[in-house]
Amino acid sequence: MSQVTLPQQFAFLEPFVANWGGLRSADERYAKRQELAQGELEALHAALAPRLEEVFTHLDQFDPQALPEAEALLFRVVLGLTEAAQAVEIFGQPRVPHAPFPHSVKMAWAGYQPH
Amino acid sequence: MADYSEHMTKAADLGLENGRVPTEYYTSPEYFRREQEMIFRRAWLMVGRVEEVPEPGDYVVRDMPTLKASVIIARGKDGEVRAFHNACSHRGVALVCQDRGNALTFRCPYHAWTYRIDGSLSAIPGEQDFAHVDKAANGLARIHLDSWSGFIFLNFADEPEVTLPEYLAGLDVMLEGAPFDQFPFYVAVTDEIDCNWKNLVNAFNEGYHVAVLHAKTLRPMVVPKDNPHLHYLDIKQFGPHSAGTVPRNFDYNPQAPALTWVYAQMLPTSAPDMEAIAQGRAGFYEHPGINRLNIPNFGTETITIFPNISIQPLANGYLFYQFWPISEGRMRTEVRVYARHAPRTLREEFAMASTLAATRDVVVEDMAMSRLQQIGFESGGKKFQHFGQNEPLLRMFTRDYEAFLAGGGLGPPARQAEAAE
Repeated sequence: MSQVTLPQQFAFLEPFVANWGGLRSADERYAKRQELAQGELEALHAALAPRLEEVFTHLDQFDPQALPEAEALLFRVVLGLTEAAQAVEIFGQPRVPHAPFPHSVKMAWAGYQPH
Repeated sequence: MADYSEHMTKAADLGLENGRVPTEYYTSPEYFRREQEMIFRRAWLMVGRVEEVPEPGDYVVRDMPTLKASVIIARGKDGEVRAFHNACSHRGVALVCQDRGNALTFRCPYHAWTYRIDGSLSAIPGEQDFAHVDKAANGLARIHLDSWSGFIFLNFADEPEVTLPEYLAGLDVMLEGAPFDQFPFYVAVTDEIDCNWKNLVNAFNEGYHVAVLHAKTLRPMVVPKDNPHLHYLDIKQFGPHSAGTVPRNFDYNPQAPALTWVYAQMLPTSAPDMEAIAQGRAGFYEHPGINRLNIPNFGTETITIFPNISIQPLANGYLFYQFWPISEGRMRTEVRVYARHAPRTLREEFAMASTLAATRDVVVEDMAMSRLQQIGFESGGKKFQHFGQNEPLLRMFTRDYEAFLAGGGLGPPARQAEAAE
């Protein structure tokens, strides 16, 4: 990856950039969640879930379709929580019980390009 | 809270005695072959929405694994939506190679035979060598298409045995005017699973499993204290189709921080919008064909359209499930989550991505269990599975499945809009 870094006030998310910052789709994030240990998912959740409002108050300032590189990186890391929260808040484990591993599903948004 | 136990429709209330069903229906290649011929080539099959092709020239290509069909669905200059087999009249090439687009003509990449968007053959290069080909009779092969409430149905028979309204047998009347068109945006979640397609059909036709299989996902949200096995209420039959009312646990009050934050940004399609309900403007809630009992903790009306469709209208959208067999032991599930609009902000995108992950995980639980079920069936030790009194829709589906395989199932169109009770 290039030397794009998180906006300074969100440097506390730096430990999670390596795992989540380069992922570009829901399916990649779902795959990552299945691979990681529960402790790693819990660490992201603990750091980020209580501060979501702060993150989005910052992101609110930008055009969603033209995020600066630092904010785009921030949003990709934050999207990691969509998967980590399922493991932490719902299942208490990374994988859906009884599902094949690795498991992948195709997800297509009609007429919208998600980050 | 009122007692709704009298509305918990039992199989016996519907006269359904078939509590034991052969597992062979779920494992045999011969049964799969009969399903292709006697069900999927005869029934009207729901494949999408007219909003997928809003403008003249818009088209989509659907691959339908059950019949090995590649289908072009296109809106003509005259506004009519038509369906064709994706096959050139010359030497059979599947000529439209993009999933979707807008076109004036379709041109075969092999020898450039060209068709208008209405399917008619417009040009044969070197036409003098094809003097024996009647252009008027060699357009793209049509597939019968009709629509109801914006849903596109196809029929692969040479001549359908019944019209689409006859096929829907009163379900269409009950749901007339339901506001599906208010929720044009969707995300499609697709997966292929090693199981028989009817395992998934059955999973969506009973609530009995919800408190167990979905103990961590759906149970807290939907299973109310007074209906612990999530018995469907007020089951209605329309020919081979059905509808049942499913309650929701209005005591659900999530405390987890990420989930709570997501709910505050944008209610998921499934969550009741209490404010809107109080003001009498909660989408499907107001429709007279939905939640006829007017239960105060309404969750969804689960609507099954034979053979392979489930639609669940919810507070802020609806779910549209398609279950397509590929073989007796493999299937494709496509789940579409329909909402009012695409995300407008990053908050909404995050909220939608979160609830999609949650919805996907619930469906993954169902798919995972259906795969384990298939392993058990194919092991061969059990010749039958059992459908309880609390699983009336499974018995009903099996009754109609057997009728179709025997050459019936399609009429005469009995208008069975009566409730069981």
